[in-house]
Amino acid sequence: MISYTLRRFGGIFMVLLLLSMFTFILSRTVPGGPWMQGVEIPQSPEQIEAFKAKYGLDKPLWQQYLVWLRNALTLDFGIPFTAPELTVTQLIFKQLPYSALVGGLAATLAVLLGIALGMIAAAKQNTWIDNLITIYAVGISTIPSFVMAFVLVYFFAAKLRWFPAGGWSGANLKTLTLPVVAYALPSTGGVARWTRQCVVEAMSADYVRTAYAKGLRQAGVMSRHVLRNALIPMITNFLPMFPGMMTGSIFIERTFGIPGLGQYFVMSSTNRDYPLVLGITMFWAILIALTYFLTDILYGIIDPRVRLVEKAS
Amino acid sequence: MTSTTVAPAVAGAPAEVRYAGFWVGAWRRFRRNRLAMFGLVFVVFILFVAIFAPFLAPYPYDKIDPTHGLEGPSREHLMGTDQLGRDVLSRVIYASRPMLLVGILTQLAGLLIGVPLGIISGYAGGILDWFITRLIDLFSALPWYLLVLYLVMVLKPSLQNLILAMTITSWLGSCRLVRGLTFSVREQDYIEAARALGIPTWRLLTNHVLPQAAPLLLWGFAAGIPTAVFAEAGLSFLGMGVRPPQPSWGQMLGEAGMFWMYKPHMFIFPSLMITLSVLAFQGLADGLREATNVNVNV
Repeated sequence: MISYTLRRFGGIFMVLLLLSMFTFILSRTVPGGPWMQGVEIPQSPEQIEAFKAKYGLDKPLWQQYLVWLRNALTLDFGIPFTAPELTVTQLIFKQLPYSALVGGLAATLAVLLGIALGMIAAAKQNTWIDNLITIYAVGISTIPSFVMAFVLVYFFAAKLRWFPAGGWSGANLKTLTLPVVAYALPSTGGVARWTRQCVVEAMSADYVRTAYAKGLRQAGVMSRHVLRNALIPMITNFLPMFPGMMTGSIFIERTFGIPGLGQYFVMSSTNRDYPLVLGITMFWAILIALTYFLTDILYGIIDPRVRLVEKAS
Repeated sequence: MTSTTVAPAVAGAPAEVRYAGFWVGAWRRFRRNRLAMFGLVFVVFILFVAIFAPFLAPYPYDKIDPTHGLEGPSREHLMGTDQLGRDVLSRVIYASRPMLLVGILTQLAGLLIGVPLGIISGYAGGILDWFITRLIDLFSALPWYLLVLYLVMVLKPSLQNLILAMTITSWLGSCRLVRGLTFSVREQDYIEAARALGIPTWRLLTNHVLPQAAPLLLWGFAAGIPTAVFAEAGLSFLGMGVRPPQPSWGQMLGEAGMFWMYKPHMFIFPSLMITLSVLAFQGLADGLREATNVNVNV
C-alpha cells in the first residue's frame, strides 16, 4: 500500500511540474503582455523596460521559471499586476470561499438528486418511470449551465420576482438559490445515469438472486447487497465532482456576479495578469490532482484488486 | 448419384442467409434508435443551414437598424431583433457555422494527431510509450475548459485560436483508445503469424489494428463534438471565442446581457439551438455506440 501511494504521488508531482513548465513558458513566449494593455496611453520604451525590470521579466526564461517555481513550492505565486495590494495567494483565499460555498452546495444537491433519481430508475427498471428519468437525464445534461441560469432567472426573478434578478449582495438564501440550482441541475443527469448503471449492474449479480431466494425483502436486498457493491464505482466518480465544482464555475459566477475564483480567472485572463492566471491555474491543478490522488488511494483501500494489478504490471 | 442432387441445395443455401456485413447490421440497429435518428436528421438539417446560410438568412447578419432595436418576433423579423436592430433569425442561421467548424474541425484534428500517436505508443512501447502517456496525463490533469481558456487568452481570442486550443485537448481520447487497442492486438497470435510471413509493420497496423479501431473512433468522433459545441458556446459567451460582428449562439447570449430579461426572444432561440445541437450529436454518438456494439471502456 505504501509503495502504491508513493508511486501515485510521484506521478502526480511529475504531472504538476510539467504542467507548470508548459503554462509558464507559454505565457512568457507569446508576444504582448500586460504592458500592451493601455493602448490609449502610449508608453515609452523606457517605461516598458522599467515595468519588465520591476517584475523580473527582463531575465532569461529559465531563470524566471526557476524563481517562480521556488516561490510556488511555498505557495507564493507573486503579486498580481492589476491588484498589487494583495498577493496572489491572499487573493485566491479571499475569493475561494464564495466559489466553494456555491459549488459545494451545488455538488451536494446534484449528487443527492442524481442518486435518488438513478436509484428509482434502477429499482423500476424498464418501466415508464425508468424511461422518464432516462429522458430527463439525457435532456438536462445537454443544457449548458449559463442557459439554465437564464431560464431560471427569467421565470423566478423577472416574472415571479421570488429572487433578486442580478447583482450580488452577500451570501444568503435569496442570492444563493438560483446560482446553486442552475449549477446543480445539468450535473444531475450524469449522476443519475451513472447511478442507474452501477445499481443495475450490482442487481444482476448472482448473490442478489441468492438473497431473494433465501427470502429477503426487496428493501433488505437493496440496502445490504446491492447498494454496498454499487457504492464503489459511485464514490470514485462523484467524489471528484466536489473539488471540481467548488473551484467555481466561470459561467455561473459571471451570470450572477458572484465574486468567486472563476470570475477572477476570466478577469485576469483578459487583463493578461500572468502571476494571477498562473497562480489560479496551478492552484486548481493542485486541487484537482490531489482529489484524483485521494480517490486512487480510497479505491485502493476499498478494492484490493487495484493494488494487485498495479504490482503485476 | 446422391451427391449431385444435394449439391444445388448446398450451393443455394448461403445465398439466402448471406451475412450482410458489419456496417449494414450496424445501420439496421442504428435506425431503430429514435434519439439517434433525431440526431442524424438534425445534424443533416444544421449542415444544410450552415452551408446555405447566405440564401436562407433574410438579412445580412451584421445589418444594423437602430430604429428597430429590441423588437419581439414579427412578420419582418421572425425571431425579433437584438439591441442593435439586427435580425436574430439571420444571426441564429449564420451562427451554425462556427458551431460546426469548431465541433468538426477539432475532432478531425484530434483524430489526425491522436491515431498515429496512439499506434506508435501502443506498438513501439518503451520510452516513446512512456513519453506519450505522460503527455496524455499532463493534458488530462486540468479540466478542458481551463486549458482552453488559458490557451485562448495567451493566443488572443478568435475562432482559429479557439479551434487550435481545443485541438490540444481533443486528441487525448482517440490516442488513449488506439493505444489500448494496439497494445492488446499486438500480443495476438495472428499478428505474430502475420509478422512471421514477413508482412511489414505498417501493413500490420493499417490492415489489422485500424479496422478494429474504426467503430470506436467513429463513436469517439461523434461523442467529442458536444464538448466542443459546449466549449464554443461557453467561450463565446464570455467574449473569448468568435469575434463580433460574426455571430455565435453563445456570444449572442453573452451580448444580450442586460436586455434579455424582459426580451425573452433574445435568449430563447440561441439557447434552443445550443441545446438541440448538443442533444443531436449526443444522440448520434450514443446511437453509434449501441449500433456498432463497441465496448467503450477500452
